Amino acid sequence: MKSLLIKNAFVVDPRQQTCSRRDIFVHEGKFADEKQIGKKDQVEVLSLEGKYLLPGLIDLRCHAKNVLGGSEENIKSVSETAAQSGFTSLLLMPDISPIADNPGAIRYINECAEKYAVVKIKPAGALTNRLEGQALAPLGSLREAGVSAVTDCPLSAQNNQIFIKGVEYASMFNLPVIEFPRDHSLSSDGNAHDSVVSLAMGLGGYPRMAEELFVQRSITASKNLHAHIHLSSISSKGSVELIEDAKNKGINVTADTTPHHLCLTDESIRGYNTHFKTLPPLREEEDRKALIKGLAKGTIDSICTAHQPHQDHLKNAEYDISPAGVTSLDTCLFACLSLLGEEIPNLPLKISEWLSYNPAQILNSESGTIDIGSPADFIIIDLETDWIYQASESPSMSSNNPFSGQRFNSVVEMTFVDGKLAFQKGP
Amino acid sequence: MTWGRKSLLGLEDLSPEEIICILDLAEEFKQFISSKKKSPKNLKGKRIVNLFLEPSTRTRVAFELAAKSLSADVISIASQSSSLTKGESLTDTAKNIQALGADAIVIRHSSAGSPLFLSRTVPVPIINAGDGSHEHPSQALLDIFTLREKLGSLKKKKITILGDILFSRVARSNLWGLQKLGAEVTLAGPATLVPQRFEELGARVTHDLEKSLSGADAIMLLRIQHERQSSSHFPSLDEYTRIFGLNAARSSLLKKDVVILHPGPINRGVEIDSSLADSENSVILQQVTNGIAVRMAILYLCAKTAEEQ
Repeated sequence: MKSLLIKNAFVVDPRQQTCSRRDIFVHEGKFADEKQIGKKDQVEVLSLEGKYLLPGLIDLRCHAKNVLGGSEENIKSVSETAAQSGFTSLLLMPDISPIADNPGAIRYINECAEKYAVVKIKPAGALTNRLEGQALAPLGSLREAGVSAVTDCPLSAQNNQIFIKGVEYASMFNLPVIEFPRDHSLSSDGNAHDSVVSLAMGLGGYPRMAEELFVQRSITASKNLHAHIHLSSISSKGSVELIEDAKNKGINVTADTTPHHLCLTDESIRGYNTHFKTLPPLREEEDRKALIKGLAKGTIDSICTAHQPHQDHLKNAEYDISPAGVTSLDTCLFACLSLLGEEIPNLPLKISEWLSYNPAQILNSESGTIDIGSPADFIIIDLETDWIYQASESPSMSSNNPFSGQRFNSVVEMTFVDGKLAFQKGP
Repeated sequence: MTWGRKSLLGLEDLSPEEIICILDLAEEFKQFISSKKKSPKNLKGKRIVNLFLEPSTRTRVAFELAAKSLSADVISIASQSSSLTKGESLTDTAKNIQALGADAIVIRHSSAGSPLFLSRTVPVPIINAGDGSHEHPSQALLDIFTLREKLGSLKKKKITILGDILFSRVARSNLWGLQKLGAEVTLAGPATLVPQRFEELGARVTHDLEKSLSGADAIMLLRIQHERQSSSHFPSLDEYTRIFGLNAARSSLLKKDVVILHPGPINRGVEIDSSLADSENSVILQQVTNGIAVRMAILYLCAKTAEEQ
């Protein structure tokens, strides 16, 4: 059996909270101790002077349009985009075709992933049938078919009873529930954050309240049911405050936010560029600052990409007609590394916490670490490569990315999944 | 002349000089209209396409008359007859209109920002004739033109805009235009339709009708737009009329020579009583006539810039 020895890289270890030069052994697809490697084993040695080794990134919110084929983002294209961008696991949202609200769809996704995906695709099942919020999906059967979590993202069950029963029922299977907190009645024509920018532009508002009311609902549900709820794509300062307060009281909620909410504000939408029409919408500088602070303090646990591919002819339309959501898988790591360096000290270590270790904990997954015995999902990155990102050159089948034209200072050189090379950057 | 734009998308980006440039030329055109003579400034041989994707009578007719007064050829496309009802995108419709040789497109659309979107898609001059709740620059320019006729300079003049501000493109364009010419703008109406945040755009905001009326040099009334708001923004038209309607009893709060404007169409007995709409203070019909002269100026300036480019 062939083994791998990686020498001279700075190894970022989120569990030990260290970043140091040391050797890493991989044996039979797992991180290994030197002693586990037999004398007869063939050892390939990679010397990676000056590069960083991080656990592979895990995305808790990734949308694709089709499971297979078509001219839109599918499992193959999204997984190739992931590998090139440092992600080794994707939690695939259920709003895919076919919709992931039944065991057959989950088996189909898993079979296709097995055949065509170069990274780990973990399907999330729907919490309610057709994501309509009217009746619970067969959560137990979904669990048996192999879902890693349940969610109605990018929608949210509006009926409180359905939502609460869903959380209670899912907890029986120890199935993580991911809530995209959104009051539909307050965000129905939600083109933009409710601010002076949207007011001047004449755009309908998606106020902070639309999110915060439902964050509070999850906190109340979690407290009363003693069940874990993960809040997805938090965008408002008020939500951060609610979550901080809940965590201080020992309530079992976790939360994530997105790279665009960490790097951009609603000032970007002036000019009606639909590539900044995100879901939830970009908010104000005070929100952005609160999200960064929330991450630094541990109030927010992780970063998800909120990758939502849309076809160009649909996205490039009138602002209110254009669908909300942006692609982000291909820029998440680079945007965080390049744009947040001044605001967050010790960034590579933090990134591995927010994009690997914590998401793995939320999904009860063994990945997300470089612990001996855990799956050898890891990436090699270079932090001194200057390049300009162009959405049109992305392996994603969509180019609705808000960072097109942005200068980045880091690049993924190699991505390994279960010890096997899934991507290597060309010369 | 200080005009160098081929499109008019809104008043937010215009300088005071550019606004005055349009108003001055409109004044010139108005004299030709009153004397029933043709201006030597014309757009003979130019094709102007009116693409009206939302119902409109006043604005569409005024743009048609303006184009005809400039001797341009004008074609009007309404939403029912356009291929957008067959699922064609706005981009494709506009590219087809361009291919048909249009020299300018006047667009009315329910999506905010659609004229800007079009101006990035086709190289033809785009004139915004109302985009969602965003801007309606030609309406604001004719309002300002009418106010200038009545009040002279607008510097330090107190102008109150009353009614549904949140969903009003007329209010936004007037807010930009009036402030650029030095007027003090008060926005008034129910809290749900006049968010306090408008103060960040330079206006004074009040929900007290009396305060908004007393001392005002001009009152601009806006129609309550049933088609835009859900019932969630105010309880009923009756209640609106009771609390914010401009009726004869409240006219004692008004300055004697106050100017009353309304972009139309008027809901008589809702936002304004008939007696006031038809009073000497009302300039509602002058607004309509001035609308032709102002739109002539807009079309002429934009088409000429495009020609020079």
